[in-house]
Amino acid sequence: MSQETQPSDIGQYPEGDNLKHFIENRKRGGLVWRVSFQIATILAILALIALLYNIINGAFGYVAIQNKVDPNSLVLAMEENQMLSSSGTVSSEDDNELVDGIEGNPNAIGFFGYAYYNDNRDKLKAISVDGQAPSRETAESGDYPLARPLFIYSAADVMRENPAIGAFVDYYLTNVNSVIEEVGYFPISDDLLNEATTAWSAAAGEQADALQAYTANPAEVSDHDISISGSSTVYPLTRQLAIQFRRAGFQGGLDLQQTGTTAGFRAFCEDMTTGISNASRPINRAEIEACESNKRTPVEFRVGTDALAVVVSSENTFLENVTKDELRQIFTSAETWSEVNPDWPNEPIERFIPGADSGTLDFFAETVFDRQLEALTEPELIEILKANLSTGLLRRFDAEAPLVERSQPELVDLVLERVVEQQVVQSWELTESIFDRAEIEETVAAIPQGELQWRSWLTPAFLVTPQSSTPELAGIRTALFGTLWVIAITILVALPVGVGAAIYLEEYAIMVANPTLRRINAIIQTNINNLAGVPSIIYGILGLAIFVRAIEPITSGMLFGVSDPTTANGRTIISASLTLALLILPLIIINAQEAIRAVPNSLRQAGMGLGATRWQTIWSHVLPSAIPGILTGNILAMSRAIGETAPLVVIGASTFITVDPTGPFSKFTVLPIQIYQWTSRPQAEFRNIAAAAIIVLLILLLTLNASAVLLRNRYSRRLS
Amino acid sequence: MAVGASSRPEVTSQTDVDIKTQLRKHPRVGETLIETFLFVCGAVSILTTIGIVFVLAKESLLFFTSGGVSLTEFFTGTVWQPAIGKFGIWALMNATFMVTTIAMVVALPLGLAVAIYLSEYASLRVRSILKPVLEVLAGIPTVVYGYFALTLMTPVLREIFGDDVVQIYNTAAAGIVVGILILPLVSSMAEDALSAVPDSLRQAAFGLGATKLETATRIVLPAATSGIAAAFIVAISRAIGETMIVAIAAGAGPNFTFNPFNAAETMTGHIVRISGGDLSYDSIDYNSIFAIGLVLFCITLVLNIISRYVVAHFREEYE
Repeated sequence: MSQETQPSDIGQYPEGDNLKHFIENRKRGGLVWRVSFQIATILAILALIALLYNIINGAFGYVAIQNKVDPNSLVLAMEENQMLSSSGTVSSEDDNELVDGIEGNPNAIGFFGYAYYNDNRDKLKAISVDGQAPSRETAESGDYPLARPLFIYSAADVMRENPAIGAFVDYYLTNVNSVIEEVGYFPISDDLLNEATTAWSAAAGEQADALQAYTANPAEVSDHDISISGSSTVYPLTRQLAIQFRRAGFQGGLDLQQTGTTAGFRAFCEDMTTGISNASRPINRAEIEACESNKRTPVEFRVGTDALAVVVSSENTFLENVTKDELRQIFTSAETWSEVNPDWPNEPIERFIPGADSGTLDFFAETVFDRQLEALTEPELIEILKANLSTGLLRRFDAEAPLVERSQPELVDLVLERVVEQQVVQSWELTESIFDRAEIEETVAAIPQGELQWRSWLTPAFLVTPQSSTPELAGIRTALFGTLWVIAITILVALPVGVGAAIYLEEYAIMVANPTLRRINAIIQTNINNLAGVPSIIYGILGLAIFVRAIEPITSGMLFGVSDPTTANGRTIISASLTLALLILPLIIINAQEAIRAVPNSLRQAGMGLGATRWQTIWSHVLPSAIPGILTGNILAMSRAIGETAPLVVIGASTFITVDPTGPFSKFTVLPIQIYQWTSRPQAEFRNIAAAAIIVLLILLLTLNASAVLLRNRYSRRLS
Repeated sequence: MAVGASSRPEVTSQTDVDIKTQLRKHPRVGETLIETFLFVCGAVSILTTIGIVFVLAKESLLFFTSGGVSLTEFFTGTVWQPAIGKFGIWALMNATFMVTTIAMVVALPLGLAVAIYLSEYASLRVRSILKPVLEVLAGIPTVVYGYFALTLMTPVLREIFGDDVVQIYNTAAAGIVVGILILPLVSSMAEDALSAVPDSLRQAAFGLGATKLETATRIVLPAATSGIAAAFIVAISRAIGETMIVAIAAGAGPNFTFNPFNAAETMTGHIVRISGGDLSYDSIDYNSIFAIGLVLFCITLVLNIISRYVVAHFREEYE
């Protein structure tokens, strides 16, 4: 292409095909560069999109929730408490007392283990529940509602590796029916027992014979230990058999715990600390998966049936059958029989129930009161709160809004938040939530009592709750108030000073004749331009040394006797505001200068020509015309101040505040500081709330900037 | 005003002179007060500068006189460990320069390309869409960019280069995001410079048969060199002073390394981390942030002055 510039080359300007190539080459070169410029621009836009995507991605998505306290157990405890505390109820751990109370009293009712009723058939009458009379058959089939199966679980590998366990299970199945009635449960039918024995043989496989030999002579496996945990219902049965096994000669370690069925499965499947698990319900899918992921395939052995009998005295003539709902009323709120059913006599109900320590009461409540937390009434919810919270905390909530006046959903929320204490154990981003749904569900299934929930981290509650150390309860209330206070004072200081400086530089400085003053004015102008380029963190250092430290008596409020007693140092809102004011001053001045410069000179001349003084001209002619421009610049400076973080960190903004700032001398935190803090934490949930806080910040800034643009467009061409 | 003052004596009569002397002697207290107040407002900026210089100098002096840290140690050392009395600024400065270099590699070519596209190629409609987009990008607080660097850029880098190569905190991610942050600054300043080149130059080039690319790169770009150079220098200064992105994403410990995938703390990042807690006055840590601040202030000030000098002395005038 150098041909064009050198005159001697003019003659060699390409011709014919060469010219064609030459032109095409130039065209191609132009196109390639044009495309690369466009790609660069697209990259810049992509960066913005990636930034916004990343924030949205963090602020919404699935979370796995785990309850610290099982809500069902809360409901159960509350209902048991109602049963025990209602008038006319006698509660005793001694079943004989219950029998004595009910006997001969036609208005009495009670319940206890079926086996015990069986011993007292002459004095008492067991009634049907939901049309099902209690018997071994109805209990075993599950038709009778107040019955549940009893199991023990082990695994084939466990039994083979630990012959003591293999032998004990065999011993258990062989002898269970001889002790079970003594413990108080229904023995299982021979069919079920055969099934269990077959399952054992299959699991034992080739070792079956060897194990059976040990069953006959347990002493031979004494070099192994047996560890059992699980259901407290099965516990007495297993205990009885363990004692006999020991008597038969077993000398090894025998550890037997009652931890509840769920915890028992956890020990068996996940921690693998036990070889046998007692259970009063069948194992569920998640537990099987947890077992299999540890290469344990659980084998189930049915060992018995537990049933309760609801009993009245033989003299009672009106009760033959009750429904579960009637049972609930009979044992809780109702005072007379006719209240529950008008056909029954108008006589007071006298209740005889087992004490709170027995598993029987739990079982009865679990079966009869099949209610969710969300279905409870307000007084019941308040009862739960009272039973589980400290009086101080209760008083605080009552002071915020009287508990009795709160609505049912509000009370449910309060219980969930304070008693159940739902915790987020894991969170996923938006894209993960959409595309990896199946994987997420699998992960959640493995979390005990885990529950999958869709969550927007940005909620109205997020805006109005103060800071908290648990991310799901944290909010930005204090940060929002801090930002409002800091920015308000910043503008109050910076706007008058900045506009004043701009007026001076534009309206007075250029008229000055004195050479020294002229030079000073020139320095001021250069200086302002230089200050605009100073990194913001330097302002933070300045603020730390001057506002926080040097004039601490003023900025802490001590001089005025209004200091915040909790801090009483210079790290206050006023220090932050003054620092930010200095930071945005150059910005305000430069923008205001431009706005004032844009006012046509004819306006000034007209004003002065009519005899107005310089200030009168400025005040009533120049400023009114310049105000839209000044305000626009001011809003832009304000949004800069709102987003500033570094200088405020340096002057020592507090990072954890739960009380609203009360004035210029309070300690404070602001939105960007909160975002910085949360982003720096390692837990993913803090990143989520950081993203939510960023959205709030960006919306705030966008609103401000949009109003600046509107202002500019609306007033920009009025004078020309 | 000078015109009015000089023309008045020509029409003076006796009474006019009286009025004039009256007016002249009449002290306008209000006007003077207002002018003084406005001057003070203007002087606040001078006070700010004096304050910055004074504070930085005073505390730095304390740092060098009391802490047993010599100037040579400070400016040549590569280890910054206050616990053992080592204060070598290069440990921090090196990280700052790494971040700045990476940011420039991202921002300068991209920013210039965007500026050329916007000023020479884009239609009015495209410009009216793109410029606000870039303004939005420029208006986002830096702490948000910090979040972006840590939660998106770092994972992306780790995905590409491997978890064992890229540390969780690294100067590469911070540098790239600082580059994105200053990209709008570069592109808008460079675009201003390009747009300031008169259209007659472009028309002349087209008239001589130059293509659009030739016009842009051989005519307009050289004519706008001073403005673009100034934009670049301001961008460098901005990158050096950038704080929140590096505080969040670059690392929290001084580390003299040239590996961009390792964690390393910059000057600004160190100041933020050290002052984040309740810093006790007159400790060596407290004084050290003023010494770092002084270095930072000097670097950025020199860069800003150079940029203004470049604009003032190398500008091509076409009017």
